[in-house]
Amino acid sequence: MEKRQIRNNIRKLRFLNNEMTQEQLAEKSGVTRQTIIALEGGKYTPSLELAFRIALAFGVTLQEVFSYELEGDEK
Amino acid sequence: MSYQEKNITVSLLSHILIAIYYLTNLLPIMQSGEWVASRLYALWLIVIGVNIIVNIIASILTNIVLTIVEAVKSRKYEDPRFITDERDSLIELKGSRVSYITYSLGVLVSIFAFIFGQSPFMMISLIFAFGILAEITGDIAQITLYRRGM
Repeated sequence: MEKRQIRNNIRKLRFLNNEMTQEQLAEKSGVTRQTIIALEGGKYTPSLELAFRIALAFGVTLQEVFSYELEGDEK
Repeated sequence: MSYQEKNITVSLLSHILIAIYYLTNLLPIMQSGEWVASRLYALWLIVIGVNIIVNIIASILTNIVLTIVEAVKSRKYEDPRFITDERDSLIELKGSRVSYITYSLGVLVSIFAFIFGQSPFMMISLIFAFGILAEITGDIAQITLYRRGM
């Protein structure tokens, strides 16, 4: 089975949302800033619930924030 | 460093202090080979009691100190939001797993020490020592996970 990994556009979406800070996003999605940092750095994969909360914080769909891509594929 | 990391660091320091106290009291008994039951019971009770009390006090003090530091930094009092999220819970679980593995191995070593002729007092002393070591390794694992990101 091909190896895939979850990627996200959180950094880009923050920039597009009036340069929302990590702290603001953390507050909106109910987590700590450290968790947002870990997510942006690709070091942590969120639960489905947190993924939905982040998408809601940006007002976009889940697919616009997260994608399931082949390992090694760079955008 | 997040609130959780600071809390775990304080917990680690208190566990290290308890380990030092336990070992400095246990080693002379082990070296002399005189397993005096009353001395050992007292030592085990002190270690358990101090561990519980120190952890509670350290946790309360950390909260108070961090609230004061935050208020001084922001120059206004805000109700501190020391929230924990799913990542904190996951790191805590992974730390518990490391503790559990360490303690299990420790119990196994203690049982083997007893099988190979050591006294029951030695076995229980080792179990206590590995209990403290398990707490320390659990704390270190959690701090490492926080430092690495996850």
